[in-house]
Amino acid sequence: MDETDRIVLDTAERLFSECCDAELVNRAGDGEVPGALMKAVLESGLPLAWVAEEAGGVGGSLALGFNLIRQTGGFALPVPLAETLVANLLLGQAGLALGEGWTGLAYDGGSLPVAADGRVSGVVEGACGVVEAELLVVPVLRDGAVAIAGFEPEAVTARHYRNPAGEARTKLVFDEAVPLCLSAPLTAMSESGLYQFCALVRAAQIAGALDKIVALTVGYVKERQQFGRPLAKFQAIQHKVAEIAGEAALSGASVEQAVRLLSAHGQPFADDPALFRALATAKLLASEAAGPVAREAHQAHGAMGFSFEYPLQQYSRRVWSWREEFGSEFYWSSQLGMAVACGISSGATAKVWDFVSP
Amino acid sequence: MASIGFDFPAPQADASVDELRREVRSFLDEEARQGGFVPLADCWCAGIDPGFSRKLGARGWIGVTWPRRYGGRELSALHRYVITEELLAAGAPVHAHWIADRQSGPLILATASEAVKNTVLPEIAAGRCFVALGFSEPGAGSDLASVRTRAQRVAGGWTLSGTKLWSSGAQSCQYMTVLARTSERDPQQRHAGLTQFLVPLDSVGVSVSGIRDMSGVEHFNETHFEDVFVPDELVLGAVGDGWQQITNELALERSGPERFLSSFIVLEKVLQAHAGSMSPQQARVAGGIIARLRGLRAMSLGVAALLGQGRSPDVEAALVKDLGTRFEQDICERLREFGPLRMQQGDGDALQDLQVDSMLRAPSFTLRGGTNEILKGIIARGMGLR
Repeated sequence: MDETDRIVLDTAERLFSECCDAELVNRAGDGEVPGALMKAVLESGLPLAWVAEEAGGVGGSLALGFNLIRQTGGFALPVPLAETLVANLLLGQAGLALGEGWTGLAYDGGSLPVAADGRVSGVVEGACGVVEAELLVVPVLRDGAVAIAGFEPEAVTARHYRNPAGEARTKLVFDEAVPLCLSAPLTAMSESGLYQFCALVRAAQIAGALDKIVALTVGYVKERQQFGRPLAKFQAIQHKVAEIAGEAALSGASVEQAVRLLSAHGQPFADDPALFRALATAKLLASEAAGPVAREAHQAHGAMGFSFEYPLQQYSRRVWSWREEFGSEFYWSSQLGMAVACGISSGATAKVWDFVSP
Repeated sequence: MASIGFDFPAPQADASVDELRREVRSFLDEEARQGGFVPLADCWCAGIDPGFSRKLGARGWIGVTWPRRYGGRELSALHRYVITEELLAAGAPVHAHWIADRQSGPLILATASEAVKNTVLPEIAAGRCFVALGFSEPGAGSDLASVRTRAQRVAGGWTLSGTKLWSSGAQSCQYMTVLARTSERDPQQRHAGLTQFLVPLDSVGVSVSGIRDMSGVEHFNETHFEDVFVPDELVLGAVGDGWQQITNELALERSGPERFLSSFIVLEKVLQAHAGSMSPQQARVAGGIIARLRGLRAMSLGVAALLGQGRSPDVEAALVKDLGTRFEQDICERLREFGPLRMQQGDGDALQDLQVDSMLRAPSFTLRGGTNEILKGIIARGMGLR
C-alpha cells in the first residue's frame, strides 16, 4: 500500500464513523434503507477503488480494496460495498462498461449460469447487493470458460431473503434471460480462482468484524464493575480475552498474508496452487474463529451482549453468516486436505512442509 | 474504543534468503538419506547431537546474525528464521546448540565483556560451545522473581550457591546463564536485585544430574552450585539488571518457529504414509492443521520482522507462543484420526513410535519458556486489562 491508499482508507474510516452508527445498522437490519449512508459512500468514489483510473476509478491496489473490505466488516456497514467492489472489478477485467450506482454480484460460489446463443440460464441461490443494484454482474459459463454478463435487475426473476445477520440476499433465476452485455470467455479467470477470491473477501470482512468484537469486549470488561472491581481484573476474564485476541490476530495475519500473495501474483482470479493454499487458509481460519470468538465475547458481555440494542450482535451475527458463505471451515479444510493428499501421492509435491512454507 | 490492533508485518525477503533455504534443504535431505540423523519429534528439545551441531557450525548456520568479528555472518533475522524452520521441519537433532544460538549468544553479545565475547561467541557459532538456561528452581517456576540462588560479593568476583532445575541439555553444555539474587528481596520491588552470570559448568562446586522425563529422555537437569566462584568478568550486564535482561531474552525465546513446529515432523510422516488412502474425514483433519500452521507461521514471521525493525514485540510474541504451543499439542491429538496409538515407543512401527513420542512430550510444550497462563497475563496487560 502506498500513500494514496492510506489517504483513501483514512477517508473511508472518517466517512463510516460519521455516517454509520450502531443504531443505523440495527434499523437497516429491520429493513429501513440507509439512504444517506448509501449516497455518501457512492459520492466518495469508494466503490470504484478497484476500477482503473482510465475508466474513471481510483486505480487502487488489491491491498487497498481488501483493507477497505476489512474496514467495512469492522463497521457492520449495511451497504453492499464489498460486493460492488468485486462486481466492478469483474466488469473491468471483462472490458465491460461500469454501472452508474450500486452493482449487485450474482455469484455465491455455486454452479455458474450458462450463456449460449446470447441467452443465460441457471440459478444463483445467494446473490448479494441485488436490492440496491442498478446493474447485476453475473459470472457465467460461456464455451466452457468463465465470462461476465451484465443484467438489468428487472430482467431476472428474484426472490429476496435475509441471512442470519439480516443482510439482503437474493435467489435469482435466469430462464433464457437476455443480458445487457456479455463478455468473451476470459482466459485469465478460472472458476476456482473466482471462488477463492470471493472467499478471501468474506475472510477480510470476518477479520474486520472479529477485531471489532475483541475491541467491544475489551471496552466492556474494563467498564463493567462486579464484586467491586472491573471484570477486566478477574484472571478468568483476562485469559478468555487473551484467547479471542489470539484467534482474531491469527485470522487477520492470514488474510494479510493471502492479500500479499495475491498482490504479488498479478492475476487475482488465476487457478494457482500457491494462491489456493493462501486463500483457503484465510477463509478456513476466519470461519473457524467466528464460532469461539463470538461465543466468548458474548459470555464476557453477559445479558447486555444478548440485547438487540447493544452492537455486539451485529458482529456476531455477521461472522456467523459470513463463515458459511463461499465455503465454511469444513469445506476449505476438506479442499486443502485433499490437495495435500493428491500432491503427495502423485509426487507433484515432495513434502507436506511445501504446503506450509514456500 | 480500546486499541487492540496487533501488527504482523511482512518480512523483507530477498534472493539470498531463498538461496539459503535451498542450501539448508539439500543438506538436510542428504544427511537424512545417509542416516546422519533420525528425524525426531520435539527435536529442538529432545535431539542432542553435538556432532550434528558442529556440522551446522561448519556451514556457518549458527549465530548468523552476529557480527563477523565474533564468528557471525551479519545476516538478517529472516535468514536465521529460515535455517531454524527448515531444521525443525526435518526433525533434525538441534538441541545442543539451540539455546545458545537463539538467546544466550544474543544475551552475551548485548551484555558481556569484550574478552568474553571474543572467547565464547566464535565457539558457539562453530557449534562447539553450548549454553543451558539457569532460570527455574525447586521453589521458582513461573514466578521467577522468587529465585533463591544467591551470589555474594568476594574479592575479584562472586560466590554462587543454590539449585537450578529443568535446565534442558545442561549435561552437554559448557556454560549456564544463571539468574541469581545479588541483594536482599524487597517485597515492594520484587524484580530488583537480580543479576545474570555466565557460569562455566566445569567450575569447582558445580554438579549436574540428569532428570528423566515422562517420555523416557534424560534431557533436563538439576544443577547444584555450592560456593562456586564466578569472576567479575562473567557477570552479564550490570549488577541488578537481571530482570530486564531476561525480559528481552524471553521475547527472542517466545516467538520462533519452534513454538508451533515441535510436532511438525510427525504430521509430515503421518500424511506421507496416508496420502494415497486418505478418508474425507482424515483430509479435513489434515487441511485444518495445514491452515493453522500457515497462519501461525505468518504471525511468527511478523514478529521476526518486528524484531528486525528493532521493536520489542513482547505481546505479539506471547500471542504466537500461546496459540502455537496449544496447537502443537493439538496436532498430536488430531492425528489420532489416522490410527490408534497402542504401543510404547520401540514396540510399534516407526510411525507409531514417532506419534507416541510426540504425545508423551506434548505436556512440556505449553510449560517451557513461560507457561501459557503467564503468557495470557502478558497479553492481557498489553491490552490494558491489568
